[in-house]
Amino acid sequence: MAEAILSKEIPVPRKWVGTPIKTKEAPRLITGRGRFVDDIKIPNLLYATFLRSPYAHAKIKRIDTSKAEKLPGVVAIVTQEDVLKWCKPYPQIVPPPADKLLDYPIAVDKVRFAGEPVAAVAATERAIAEDACELIEVEYEPLPPVLDAEEALKPDAPLVHEEVGTNLAWHEVFDYGDVDKAFAEADKVISLKLHHHRYGGAPTETHAVVADYDKGTGVLTIYCNNQMPMFCMALIGLSFNFPTDKIRIITPDIGGGFGSKILSYTYMMLISILALKAGRPVKWMEDRREYLAAGTHCNEATFYVEAAVKKDGTILGIKAKTLHDVGAYLRYEPVGALLWIQVSSGPYRFKNLRMDVNALVTNKGPVAPIRGYGRIQHLWMLERTVEQVARQLSLDPIEVKLKNYVRPEEMPYVAPSGATYDSGDYSTALKKALQMINYEAWRKKQKELWKQGRYIGIGAALFQDSGTNNFAQVRLIYKNNPFSGNSRMAEMWMDEFGRIIVAVGSNPHGQNHETVVSQVVADVFGVTPDDVFVVPGFDSWVHGWTGHAGTYASQFAVSGIGAVFGAAKKLREKIATIAAHMLKAKPEELVFKDGKVWVKGTDRSVAFWQVANLAYRNNLELPEGVEPGLRVVYAWKGPFKLPDMKKKTLNATLTYSYQAHACVVEVDPETGKVKILDYAVVDDCGVPINPGIVEGQVHGSAMNGIAAALYEEYVYSKDTGQLLSSTFMDYLFPTTLEIPDIKVDHMISPSPFTELGTKGVGEGSLVPLGSIAGAIEDALSPLGVVITDSHNPPERIYRMIKAAKK
Amino acid sequence: MIPKSFDYLRPSTLQEAVQMLDRYEESKVLAGGQSLIALMKLRLAAPKYIVDITRIPGLSYVKEERGKLVIGALTTHDTVENSPLIRQKCPILSEAASRIGDQQIRNRGTIAGTLCHADPSADVPTAFLALNGEVVALSPSGERVIKASEFFVDFFTTALNPNEVVREVRVPVFLPRTGSAYIKHARREGDFAIAAVAAIVTLDAKGVCKSASIALGSAGPTPLRAVEVEKALVGKKLTDDVIVAASELADRGISPPSDIHGSAEYRAEMAKVFTKRALRLAVSRIGG
Amino acid sequence: MVEKRKIKLTVNGVEMEGEAEPRTLLVHFIRDTLGLTGTHIGCDTGHCGCCTIIMNGVSVKSCMVLAYQAEGANILTIEGLAKEGKLHPIQEAFWENHGLQCGYCTPGQIMSTYFLLNRNPKPTEEDIRRGLEGNYCRCTGYINIIKSVKAAAEKMAKGGS
Repeated sequence: MAEAILSKEIPVPRKWVGTPIKTKEAPRLITGRGRFVDDIKIPNLLYATFLRSPYAHAKIKRIDTSKAEKLPGVVAIVTQEDVLKWCKPYPQIVPPPADKLLDYPIAVDKVRFAGEPVAAVAATERAIAEDACELIEVEYEPLPPVLDAEEALKPDAPLVHEEVGTNLAWHEVFDYGDVDKAFAEADKVISLKLHHHRYGGAPTETHAVVADYDKGTGVLTIYCNNQMPMFCMALIGLSFNFPTDKIRIITPDIGGGFGSKILSYTYMMLISILALKAGRPVKWMEDRREYLAAGTHCNEATFYVEAAVKKDGTILGIKAKTLHDVGAYLRYEPVGALLWIQVSSGPYRFKNLRMDVNALVTNKGPVAPIRGYGRIQHLWMLERTVEQVARQLSLDPIEVKLKNYVRPEEMPYVAPSGATYDSGDYSTALKKALQMINYEAWRKKQKELWKQGRYIGIGAALFQDSGTNNFAQVRLIYKNNPFSGNSRMAEMWMDEFGRIIVAVGSNPHGQNHETVVSQVVADVFGVTPDDVFVVPGFDSWVHGWTGHAGTYASQFAVSGIGAVFGAAKKLREKIATIAAHMLKAKPEELVFKDGKVWVKGTDRSVAFWQVANLAYRNNLELPEGVEPGLRVVYAWKGPFKLPDMKKKTLNATLTYSYQAHACVVEVDPETGKVKILDYAVVDDCGVPINPGIVEGQVHGSAMNGIAAALYEEYVYSKDTGQLLSSTFMDYLFPTTLEIPDIKVDHMISPSPFTELGTKGVGEGSLVPLGSIAGAIEDALSPLGVVITDSHNPPERIYRMIKAAKK
Repeated sequence: MIPKSFDYLRPSTLQEAVQMLDRYEESKVLAGGQSLIALMKLRLAAPKYIVDITRIPGLSYVKEERGKLVIGALTTHDTVENSPLIRQKCPILSEAASRIGDQQIRNRGTIAGTLCHADPSADVPTAFLALNGEVVALSPSGERVIKASEFFVDFFTTALNPNEVVREVRVPVFLPRTGSAYIKHARREGDFAIAAVAAIVTLDAKGVCKSASIALGSAGPTPLRAVEVEKALVGKKLTDDVIVAASELADRGISPPSDIHGSAEYRAEMAKVFTKRALRLAVSRIGG
Repeated sequence: MVEKRKIKLTVNGVEMEGEAEPRTLLVHFIRDTLGLTGTHIGCDTGHCGCCTIIMNGVSVKSCMVLAYQAEGANILTIEGLAKEGKLHPIQEAFWENHGLQCGYCTPGQIMSTYFLLNRNPKPTEEDIRRGLEGNYCRCTGYINIIKSVKAAAEKMAKGGS
């Protein structure tokens, strides 16, 4: 077995890091032995369901639960009365006046979006709880809803939150470089209005909570599938009138998250209140209908963009006014309206950027950090803009992109917002992706195909997946926000038999952390991944955590692995100290392999269990100054700085994975339907720990992007604010017949900023939003059609074609 | 997620079933359940009695009798899709069944079930109308045959009385020189149609169209026959020009719904496009 | 008065019984009454396929069947595939080809694959896509699932079950 390598020999793979081993999680999942929240059984369990608002905007005049309470089997009902006893409003991260926004886990006085919880019922059976909801009488006084960001901005718009006095929850202008000079020097100014639609994560497992209050110890155990529950403790702790030291949070197996399982702290609290009132544990499993209405959407954004360009296609600068429709409550917002700063100029090297950012509350479902949070909207906007720049200058969009990309020799590259791109070769990636779809051949055929009445187009886009975030970014929203940096904690121990156990402060939901952690630790100790046990799931009493703990923002390979690597080195150091003492050698002379510690170049060794024996049971033989036990805790701290508040710049993320996507589509001119003929991805996430897992992420992210571009949209009635895409009948989750085969190739540009050269990769940035929009526009370019929506269902395209042909 | 309470009845014969339907108010027949259970779970339907006919033996069959294919009420979509008899002698029915939902839904859903559910965006009802099929309906007082043209009355409403159940479905065996196609325009492959067309054309020995039957799905409260299109085809040779001209008449007399997947205007345009495509496909499939 | 009565059915080769009322869905009966939680729930409208099991030889969505309709039936769930700790070739193929990430849709995918391959041992890619149309997956984009099914077909041809 190879010697464990501790130094950074990039990009040579280690023995286990870089190997696509089978996952450790699979055996239980393929046999139906996974343990998801809804699988949890506790004695005396009650089952909960919610009564939700049918109105987008209404006053609650009266709630009468008396009939429901009499239904046999109903044990407790929670309404705003209970919530006001148990909760203070959630803190907001915006400056005044929106800091006064009142946000509770249940509707209080008013309902502000269709689907907002109004009452919660716990009963001996789920069916009875549902029957009980039908017996709860609620008198509403409907109010006119505001369902559009631009409408919300008008002075006479209905107010979603009267206590704030405006629907404009946050407004800030960021000015980088010299935008006015850029526009003065431009040969041409391109203007565009763009709209990025609402879609969501849609994991196959919806939200679920089990709350169990132990009257004996006073401990409240919350089982949930939240992706970052310890982060959410900030909100729970400041809002819930329950002692935080007695809250234990457990996440078992989680069936996907994609950013939509973050804001469920509201449910964690509501179900807990229900359990406390009922005096029995309570389980809630969200219906898909509830998930689609209230389980969080991605930021909806309208952009007014102007680009200053030279006639050779060089981009001098961009101005954009953006209106983010964030739904009825802020919750994690306006971070989504801010996160473009992690990329700012995207993959392009223009230096002059002005962003006039507005976050509006409306009577729609709340938004959350859905996959690619805040960056996808911006990167999509940039791609659309750059492509229009090309078309209006009669240049090839691909050539204009390549011309304006940041060059590999400029890396690490500081973008206008202070974002520092660690490494990457965007041009090579894009060209490679185009090669994979036979770009040249299609271009040659394209004119002939147009003559035949066939509209075939090619699109290519590159989006960055900025990962491992610096929470100080929220100080650019409000200077007083007490958040900064990033961290992860890992606890690692060797038991007295020489077995290695790791508990990481993360909440994996498909990323296979047990597998990748084993690979990293195996390399440090010279063992196999099977010799490393990673404690499944998360338990706040077992797994080390900080306020940044969780699985989000494409970073486990940096922060989580950073914590694991740090803990492994710490533990290895302690073992080496003891072993050196036993072997009468120096720690530098030792190597770890095959479960033993050896003096280099000799056959003298001690087994792990022998070292552990001294540490656990035989400590009079330990060297001086060494504590008993073999258990370490390590917290990785991100190498970040605080923002420059004057310039409004900061290095907001540590790593920049990226993907170049290229596709060929055919648009049916008679129906507007789009068919994908070929699809290729080039992915670069630095050093991959497990290439098989990475490739799976790339597939899933591509599917997510295709789904958003062509199938999935949250559609609201313009009159009533009801969510029309309310079930999977109308929220069009694509099936095997909609998603094509996707070819994937890889590049490795290691990050100079991380110990193993890894970069976070999970989000993948939904690049199809860019590539498919570009391909449709390319296909319809003879008609001069301009794609300004991120979602392009058949009828929309049909109407654009019809209008163009007139 | 969970239906409202109901009483469950399990008759062992169809006679028993119709007597139960007669006796109990707000009773509904349950067969495959792929439509009814979905509605009940959303609490959009809440019958007080469910009459489960799935255990009644002898209701799943495909036979040829006197120039017709007779199909038992409980024959699943999967069976209809894959039946060699139906594929050979009435292929449009197999084609329509193959477009329903997905494999699991086709494994449970039944031909009588989908006809009685009478969703104008569903696949089999549209093909059934184009076929001029028939159902045999049983009630406590006896049997009657209901023609397809009279069977669909309104959205989710058939000509059946509350105490009637469909026992058998009958469709004609294709005549020689007949070609057919069932195609639909949908967002996803297995979705309900934005527009759907079932086209059956038969030529005479000289290659002139002697009959044309075209039914449109998702074009009104029930599947609709595109009568104007049919008139424009009969008596003519089915050249592409004739097909294109006839298809322009497909939006006559239709009243398609509007929803987030397609406005009424769009559906009307698509009725024309898909009539043209269905006819081209049907003509290309005409054998000797 | 809500009628509740005991129903018997054979699950994974074992006769089981439990109490149910008319409106009890088969998926809840399997999960909550029989305690077999490998079959999952992902939606309300019979779309996602996470609840797919084999009932009397065919794949069905157990959320769209009443428990009473399954009385006396022969049911196979994900828990019944591996025999005495030995994985079914389909399970092996999914593991080897990274055909799952979060694992929530996986039991349904595997049961639909079981039905597909028993009926059609040499499926084309088109057949596989059609066969799994009723099983949603958000993590994998279906690509490795299709790869896994192809691999499973090969394994079974060589002499798996």
